[in-house]
Amino acid sequence: MKVLIIEDEKTLAYEMETFLKKAFYLCDLAHTAAKAAECIEMNQYDFILLDLGLPDGDGLSLLPKAKKHNPEAAYIILTARGNLEDKIAGLDLGADDYLAKPFSLLELQSRMQAIARRKFNVNAETVPLGDFSVNLQTRFIYFQVQQIELSRKEFDLLSYLLLHKNRVLTRMQLSEHIWGTFADDDYDSNYIDAHIKNIRKKLNTYAPTDWLETVRGVGYRIRK
Amino acid sequence: MKLSVKLIYFITGSKIAVVLIFILSVPFLVERIASEYTNYSLRDQQKKVMNNVRRHGVGFYLQGDKSYGSYTMLKEEYIALEPAGPGVDMDTIQTEERIVEQDTLNYRVLSYTFRAGPNRYLLEIGKTTGSINQYNKPLQRIALYVLMGLIAVTIIIDLIFTRILISPLKEIIQTKLIKRKFPFKEPAVPVKTSTGDFKYLDQSLIDLMDQINVDFEKEREFTANASHELMTPISILQTKMENLLAEENISEATTMSIIGMMKTLGRLKKISSSLLFISRIENAQFARTDQIKPAKLIADVLEEISHRMEEKGLKLHVSLSDDVTLNNVNQDLLFQFFYNLINNAIKYNVEKGSISISDHRGRSGYSIVISDSGIGIAKEELDFIFDRFRKANLGENVGYGLGLSIVKSIAVYNGIDVKVASVVGEGSKFTITFGDFDAKITRGKP
Repeated sequence: MKVLIIEDEKTLAYEMETFLKKAFYLCDLAHTAAKAAECIEMNQYDFILLDLGLPDGDGLSLLPKAKKHNPEAAYIILTARGNLEDKIAGLDLGADDYLAKPFSLLELQSRMQAIARRKFNVNAETVPLGDFSVNLQTRFIYFQVQQIELSRKEFDLLSYLLLHKNRVLTRMQLSEHIWGTFADDDYDSNYIDAHIKNIRKKLNTYAPTDWLETVRGVGYRIRK
Repeated sequence: MKLSVKLIYFITGSKIAVVLIFILSVPFLVERIASEYTNYSLRDQQKKVMNNVRRHGVGFYLQGDKSYGSYTMLKEEYIALEPAGPGVDMDTIQTEERIVEQDTLNYRVLSYTFRAGPNRYLLEIGKTTGSINQYNKPLQRIALYVLMGLIAVTIIIDLIFTRILISPLKEIIQTKLIKRKFPFKEPAVPVKTSTGDFKYLDQSLIDLMDQINVDFEKEREFTANASHELMTPISILQTKMENLLAEENISEATTMSIIGMMKTLGRLKKISSSLLFISRIENAQFARTDQIKPAKLIADVLEEISHRMEEKGLKLHVSLSDDVTLNNVNQDLLFQFFYNLINNAIKYNVEKGSISISDHRGRSGYSIVISDSGIGIAKEELDFIFDRFRKANLGENVGYGLGLSIVKSIAVYNGIDVKVASVVGEGSKFTITFGDFDAKITRGKP
């Protein structure tokens, strides 16, 4: 998938590129509104990540023009302004999602995946996971045809780990995903452990879950 | 006590005092007046007698006798003319006793010697003092009545006048001090008055409020800018660390220190976003147009937070009526509001403690009471618990000291009243009162 990162902070844009490249996205960078407009006219993108505070213009004003040239693309607004009007204006102008800075790159990818499923029908089918299969769209997990009951948070946790498979996710990253702004750093780490224990217990009655690894002192990883 | 009441008390008191002094001094005054008058009339009679003597000679009175005397029927006045001894030379008016036909009476006596022909004579004219004082009592009574009547009338006038005079002060207190709610959004209207002092007071208050507004604006702007400027570098650090953590060939020690850094960064992130959140609330960036059922909202909060409650083995009692709807609030803000309060009730609770959430309707509005069996808050800390970065309870999980500041900002913004009562070692009780609400069915009915 092709991504245009419109971000004036060069370091931040570079880090985003590094991360997304590993997840097999192709990235173009634009540090100004002018450069972004040029890219949008020249290429077709699947994702356009748009920072609102650009040195030569407001990111929001770029949106209608971009939509004309790239109507199929998914737009995610990234901003440190974080005020409500921007969010509403952005979504009104046709943005698909909105992420307030500072955001986790894991969260960004998770949002992009969700949009991809919704918009481009990617991963709409079930995804295999050991002897199980996971449907991210309907949010069910199956052993053969047997549907297994997981709580909302347990499923969130599992699908987040699955999305970032082969990467160790820290307890903090996991609790931030599950509880968002309500996460209380160290305080919630135990609950991540408790949820993982529950997931293992529920799944182990059907088949082994050795793909779900505990990385000592760090967190958890799904290895595939 | 109100100024108008004080003024009326003072005016009435001083008037009554003046009247009393006057009434009490009436006998003395009357005596003075009477004695002046008596002296005057004695002199007048003396003049008449002397006129007669000059015109007609002493013989006009003496008629050949050696002396002359006459008194009125009730001996209230007398007149006597007799030869004066040698060396007697008088012109006085004195109060003296005289015996008239065996009665000893007090007279005001004019004694005057004069020469008529070869002889000198003594003229005495007397008037009883008793007749002078007889007017005292009725005079006092009448004066009392008249003055009391006058006092009543003037007090009514004073009442009306002081009311009018003081009314601008009342208006200043009403409009500037009681009704104005911080932050002062609409400009203050000066109170119309011709009294200079009130004008000055009013203008000073307006200036003060403007100054507070300016400072408040500055602080708000600073918080927003500072938080915003912090977010970008935090973003960069966070993404860098995340990428670093994903590197294949880093040692375990490096991994651990990256995780440590991420935790610290997470704290910085949390503080900045909390400050930004507070400044957004104070900037009125949230619409207050939602209608929410508190019972439902609190159930959502409890679901979000139940894992923390379970871990501590807390008992929870919730008793909220389903039929109450809160008007003109912001759902997200209220969620955060109750989340923070209930989170604190859990965080500062003891193992196997309890939390109780109940509601009631009173005269002041609809109240929700959240009480816990926690460690409580010391009395001297109670006033400061809503201050930013204030941490009253220094336990292990003290947080950032912004949770209750957020609660307060939301409360102020949504017009919610929050009261706290607490006993150290027994627990805390937060009473949250909403003024704007609807309740259709009475409580207890299905």
